[in-house]
Amino acid sequence: MFKKLVFTLILAFYITEFNAQKLVPNIPLETFKGTYTTMNKELNEDNFYILSFWATWCVPCINELDALNEVYDELSKELKFKVYAISTDDSRTKRRVRPLVNGKSWKFDVLLDENHDLKRALNISGLPHTIITKQNQILHRRVGYAPGEELGLLDKLKEYDIE
Amino acid sequence: MTLNRVVLFLVFLLFIYKGFSQSNNFFYGSFESNGVYYEDSESTDYNKKFASNSYLNLKYNLNNKWVFDLQTESYIPKQLQNYSDLLEDTFISTFSIDFNTTNFNFTLGTLYEQFGSGILLRTWEDRQLGINNSLWGIRSSYNKDNLSFVLLGGYQKKANTISEGKVFGFDSEFVVYDDKNSFRNLILGLSYLGRLEAPHYVSYPFEDLTNSFSGRIDYNSNNFYMNYEYAYKTKDGVVKFNSVSETFVKNGNAHLINIGLIKDGLGLDFTFRRLENMGFYSERVEFGSPYFETTLNYLPALTKQHDYLLTNINVYQSQPNISFQDPSLMKAGEIGFQLDAYYNIKKETFIGGKYGTKISLNISKWNNLKGNYDYDNEDYDLDLLGFGEKYFSEQSLEIRKKWTNSFSNIILFVNRYYNKRFVEEKVGEINSKIIVFDNTFKLSGEKSTRFEIQHLFTEDDKKNWFGYGIEYNFNYNFSAYFNSIINYENEIENNPTYSNIGVSYSKNASKFMVSYGKQRGGLMCYGGVCRYVPEFKGLSFSIITSF
Repeated sequence: MFKKLVFTLILAFYITEFNAQKLVPNIPLETFKGTYTTMNKELNEDNFYILSFWATWCVPCINELDALNEVYDELSKELKFKVYAISTDDSRTKRRVRPLVNGKSWKFDVLLDENHDLKRALNISGLPHTIITKQNQILHRRVGYAPGEELGLLDKLKEYDIE
Repeated sequence: MTLNRVVLFLVFLLFIYKGFSQSNNFFYGSFESNGVYYEDSESTDYNKKFASNSYLNLKYNLNNKWVFDLQTESYIPKQLQNYSDLLEDTFISTFSIDFNTTNFNFTLGTLYEQFGSGILLRTWEDRQLGINNSLWGIRSSYNKDNLSFVLLGGYQKKANTISEGKVFGFDSEFVVYDDKNSFRNLILGLSYLGRLEAPHYVSYPFEDLTNSFSGRIDYNSNNFYMNYEYAYKTKDGVVKFNSVSETFVKNGNAHLINIGLIKDGLGLDFTFRRLENMGFYSERVEFGSPYFETTLNYLPALTKQHDYLLTNINVYQSQPNISFQDPSLMKAGEIGFQLDAYYNIKKETFIGGKYGTKISLNISKWNNLKGNYDYDNEDYDLDLLGFGEKYFSEQSLEIRKKWTNSFSNIILFVNRYYNKRFVEEKVGEINSKIIVFDNTFKLSGEKSTRFEIQHLFTEDDKKNWFGYGIEYNFNYNFSAYFNSIINYENEIENNPTYSNIGVSYSKNASKFMVSYGKQRGGLMCYGGVCRYVPEFKGLSFSIITSF
C-alpha cells in the first residue's frame, strides 16, 4: 500500500514537471443577468486577463480583490488587462455576490461558477486561485494570497508583456 | 485490471503524448494529499496512528471537444478521522468522458450537476468534508439562445461503491423576456427528479418511485432582482433510527424567495426560505448519514459563513427534516430569513477617510415550523407562515478599513443565539457575543504580518473563549503562523487550550503546509454543511498542486 502512495506521489511530481501550454476550458458560466456566457466568448480580445477565483466567505480572496481594485485604475493606464472575479459561491452564499460586489465598488467583471464547473475543469482546490491568461493560453497560476502580492501579480503581467 | 496497471497505462499515454503532442491536445490535472499523525485522539482507533487522504485527478483534452477525466483516491494506511469507513485503500473514484460542441454536451460516467439552486439536485465534491455525491450515468444538455435543457440518469456514488437507488431527471430554463438594450430580463425554470429504490420486504403505503418537481422564476435588472422557487416532493416514509417507517408517511415542499437591491456603493439582499421534509437520498436509509452519502439535494444553512476560529463555534446547520425525538422535541423543517447589507463609505469623506471604509451587515433568524404536532400518532398539521421554536439567530457587523498604505484592519462583531437542543438534539441554549480584530501590516519588500485577537462571551455551555493568532509572511511564497484559542472559564474540562503552529509554502499553483497542534473537536462546518470531528493532537501536512 505504501508503494502505491509513493508511486502516486512520484507520478504527481513527474506531471508537475510537465509544462505544456494549456487552455482555459470553454465552460459556461452565469452572469449577473442570470444568463450564461462561455469563457471563449469572454476572453476573446488580444488582452491579458486575470481570472481570480474567490468566494464571499473567503477573507484572503476579498483582501486580494480589494487590493487589486485599489491599484487597478493606475495600472490599467500602463497595461492593457482585464480582471474577471470568478465567484465559486454555491447556492448558500451566491445571492450575496451581487450586493457585495456593488457594496465594494469593484471595477471587475464578475462571473458565477456556482457548481464549480470551471473550478473543477481547471483543477483548483484551494482559494484564492489566480490565473493570468492571454488568447486562452494559461500563462501563470497562483494559489493563495499574501498582502502586497497584487503588485507581484502585476509585475508578472509586465514580464509577459515584454515577452 | 489492478490500479497500478491503470496508472502505468496513463504514464505510458503521457509519454506517447510527449512525442505526438498537438497544440489542442493536452493533459492536465491536480494532486492533493492531506495527512495527519495522530499523537493523541479522542477516537481510540486513531491514537498514535498515521492516516492520509490523497486525490490524483487527470484530464485529457482532445481537440477541445473531448475531455477524459479520471480521479484516483488513496486512503493509506487508512482514511482521516471522521471520513466514511467505506473510503479505504486506493481506488478509481470518478471517471468520465465528456463531448462538447458549441450548444450540445454529452457526458458518460461521473456527473456533477445542479438543478436551479440545488433544492432537488446538487452533486458536487468537497474534499474537506469528504463529500462526493456525483452520479454515475449519462447526461446530455442543450443550450441555445433562450433555452437550456439537461437530461440525466444514473446511480449515485457512495464512497467506492454505487447506490441501490436509481435517479433520473431533467432541468430546463427559458429566457422569456430579455431587453438587450437595458439590463432587464425574466427567466423561468422547471425541474424534475425521480428516485427509484427497489422494494423492501414489507409493502409500504408509498411508491418505490419518489417524484420531485420544482419551478422557479427570476427577474433581474440593473438595480433590482427578485426570484422565487417552489419545490414539491411526493410522499415517502419518514426515516427514524435508520429504518423507513411504514406508518409515518409525508410529502415535502420548499419555498425560497430572494429579493435584492443594488446601487453603486450599496447592496441589499433578503432571502426567505421555508423547508418542510425536504431531505432527499438515493438510498432512503442513508438519511442523516454523517458522511452525506447518497444525499441528492443541497439545503445549506442560509446564514453568514464565517472564517474565524471562534465565530465557527455554534454554527447553524439547516433543519430540513422531520425529527420526532420525544414529545418536547418535534421538528418538521425550518422557516426563516436572512438579510445582508453591504455599504462602501466613499474615500475622502469624514468617515470614509483617505481609503474608504467597507461595512457589511448580516441578520438571520431560523425557527421550527409552527403547527400541531402529535407524537403518539406520528402526525402534524403545519401553518404555512408560522414560526415555531427558535433554532438560531445572528446579527453581525463587519467593518473593513484601510488606514494607511501599510495598515488595514477588519473588526467583526457577532451576536448569536443557538438552540443546541433543537439543532443538535442535545441539551441547552447558548447566547453568545463574539468580537474579532484582524490587523494586517505591510512591512518592507514582500514582508507582511497579520495579527488577530478574538473573544467569545457567553455565560452558557462552555463559557468564555479567548483567541489570538499571528501570521508572518516572509515573502509572497513563504509564511508561518501560530494561533491559539482558550476556553478559559471551562473548569469542567480544565480550561482546554487549542494551539497550532504551522508553515506554508506556495509557488505558482502548488501549496505545501505543515502544522502541529491540537484541534478542537465538535462540529466542523464548511460551505454550510457541518460534521462532527473528534478532538485530536497531531502533526498534519497538506500538498495541493494543479498542473
